[in-house]
Amino acid sequence: MSRHVELDEDRAVTAEQITDSMRRRLGDGLLDSRPAGPTRLYLTVDPAKIVDAADELFNGLGARFVISAGTDERENRGGFRVSHFFSFDDEDLYVALHALVPEDDPRIDSITPIIPGANWAEREIQDLLGVTAEGHPDPRRLVLPDDWPADVYPLRCDFDTRDRPASAEGMAPPMKNRPEGAVMVPVGPYFPTQHEPEAFAVFVEGEVVVDSDYRGFYNHRGIEKLGCADLTYNQIPFIAERICGICGFVHSCAYCMAVENAAGIEVPRRAQYIRTIFLELERLHSHLLWTGVAAHIIGFDTLFMQTWRMREPVMWLCEQLTGNRKTYGMNIVGGVRRDLPADAHEKIEKVIADVEREWSALTDAVPGDRTLIARLEDVGTLTPDQVRQTCCLGPTARGSGVAIDLRIDHPYAAYGELEMEKCVEDGCDTLARTLVRLAETPVAIDIIRQCLAKMPDGEIQATIDEEIPPGLEGIGAVEAPRGESFHWVLTGENNRPKRWRVRAPSYQNLQAIGPMIHGDVLADVPIDIGSIDPCYSCTDRMTVIDRRSGQMRVMTREEILDRR
Amino acid sequence: MLIAMNVLETLWTKIKQALICLRPGRVTLPYPFAPHDPEEGFRGLPRLNVDKCIGCGGCANVCPARLIRIVDKDQTTRVLVFLYERCTFCGRCAEVCPEGAIEMSREYELSTDDVHDDMIGEYHIFMGPCERCGRCYRPPSVLDKLQQPGFRSDCIDRKCPPEGCRIVLDEDTDDRAEAPTQTASR
Ligand code: SF4
Ligand code: SF4
Repeated sequence: MSRHVELDEDRAVTAEQITDSMRRRLGDGLLDSRPAGPTRLYLTVDPAKIVDAADELFNGLGARFVISAGTDERENRGGFRVSHFFSFDDEDLYVALHALVPEDDPRIDSITPIIPGANWAEREIQDLLGVTAEGHPDPRRLVLPDDWPADVYPLRCDFDTRDRPASAEGMAPPMKNRPEGAVMVPVGPYFPTQHEPEAFAVFVEGEVVVDSDYRGFYNHRGIEKLGCADLTYNQIPFIAERICGICGFVHSCAYCMAVENAAGIEVPRRAQYIRTIFLELERLHSHLLWTGVAAHIIGFDTLFMQTWRMREPVMWLCEQLTGNRKTYGMNIVGGVRRDLPADAHEKIEKVIADVEREWSALTDAVPGDRTLIARLEDVGTLTPDQVRQTCCLGPTARGSGVAIDLRIDHPYAAYGELEMEKCVEDGCDTLARTLVRLAETPVAIDIIRQCLAKMPDGEIQATIDEEIPPGLEGIGAVEAPRGESFHWVLTGENNRPKRWRVRAPSYQNLQAIGPMIHGDVLADVPIDIGSIDPCYSCTDRMTVIDRRSGQMRVMTREEILDRR
Repeated sequence: MLIAMNVLETLWTKIKQALICLRPGRVTLPYPFAPHDPEEGFRGLPRLNVDKCIGCGGCANVCPARLIRIVDKDQTTRVLVFLYERCTFCGRCAEVCPEGAIEMSREYELSTDDVHDDMIGEYHIFMGPCERCGRCYRPPSVLDKLQQPGFRSDCIDRKCPPEGCRIVLDEDTDDRAEAPTQTASR
């Protein structure tokens, strides 16, 4: 997003320039700077200088904040590694900022005061690893369940995946205080228009939303922990694919790309094209799904039924090509597992041609519908500056004129060899986010056609004949239908990663709901939330829940009544 | 005037929408009242052919859901227990099996109203005993076919020289009756 920050011409950023300006700003605080290829830069800084370093990257150089990660490295390095990731989207460069926090004093200064989008990321490290973010404006529990005991940190290595700590009382994080004169309306934990559990507390004055609070992470499955403790490199893709119920392929793809990036594995071109085709088929059915869901939220069920009807042949096509309509199971470190069958081209072409025809009839019929437009226009406003501050992504950002699209900014798979344009709208409202997705659907079809036309022959898997050495790091990032899906892998012993960090786009996008619904009327809140296409299970991928005690206890009737 | 235009425009789009709905006709399938066959190449419940299986443990080693437990009942019987409820239908087991003993069937209607139907598959494999260690299969070792360098699990290891053809699934618990650990954790 550096394009939104005034940069001097001569400060167009390269890895060397970043290192230079960090050295200028931090002096001895910059402990190490290690570029890995032209698109990755790994910096290690003194933990006391972490805020300066983040400030220099985010405010000084205009980077976009991606996510943070915490790693338990007490065994080999005597402390906890705290990492913040940044992206220079114009320069196709990811920058990691690592700092080692000593074991006996697990604290680090919070970067949330300067980067609001780091709010959840830092609280997650605090919850799961026990490294306190000093000076965090809202240090409440975020990820752990309400009955999780204090001082038990599931991401530490000495916590076994089979450990089940006893249920504790009084650990539930307090809700935000209700503003004077406002009334709290609960949206969730179960809410008709949300297909997954999450709880928004919406504070209204009359009908107008004045503030809100969020409690989520009910869907934790401890996937990151599993990946670093129990699974092996090639078991993870299949588990990663189950992070999301709609766009799982992006996660297995991003994970494999992260490992390939760390180990320097060259993926055959044919495999890259096959990955691209499935990424776009997935975007196609995901956008069709979203259009239906959004229509359903505002009571337009005709459109819901029709887009889902159009979507179904795409699912069947994927079942024919991969063996399953949704979890393709195609990705593996080094390539893909199944080649396309001989008649794949005709099959794919037939399905996408049908979708294209029906889609154009639909986009011809729908935008003239004044009722529909009235429900979407000027609703859920999100300014470009709010996008930058909350670090949101995908159609949510592109609907506010912030043109981040990894397929062009950080080309991966076969995208570097294909022609495409970013779909950007500057309405900054729910309508704009809708239009972005409507425009992206034919683009996905076009990309699939290009792939079919250019599809090279050859191998579909790289031969890997050496074990992946420990201590390497790699980043894989994929433009999911909802935005950037980011995976970071730190390789480890025993044929498994030391740390595998997943950040789904909804993780950032959900943090933008607060500013988005502020000032809207209550009736628009469901579609506002729907307009980011939230995926709670993606966001909530992380901690270990005790099945027996992890019941939903967040907002009992008494609590709700209490707050009124 | 403007309102009239808007009303007309909306009406016109409604007509177009009605056409979109009418054109495809009825699309809902009669399922479950009529069967619905999955597509060609569908990955359903993995089924094991005990006559082909040599008990090498490769499937248990790669299974991402770690649902295949291997237990040696006695010197000549190795039991493979599939806790099917965890299966992700990825087909990795079938892919790595050196003998093609696992087939991804086309079964997908797995829900049941019988509480005793616990989704466990038990397969008893007859193990031709090795003269040396009493618990192996015939040479040449299929581990050679199975091995994907760099992607072995840590707990699968070949102890004997190739002619000894012995596989040990866990170094620490190398005990006749002991189940190997790199299996479903329950
Ligand atoms: S991989 Fe094949 S031969 Fe080996 S134990 Fe599994 S089913 Fe049997
Ligand atoms: S299909 Fe996948 S999850 Fe199921 S048993 Fe085979 S390897 Fe395990």
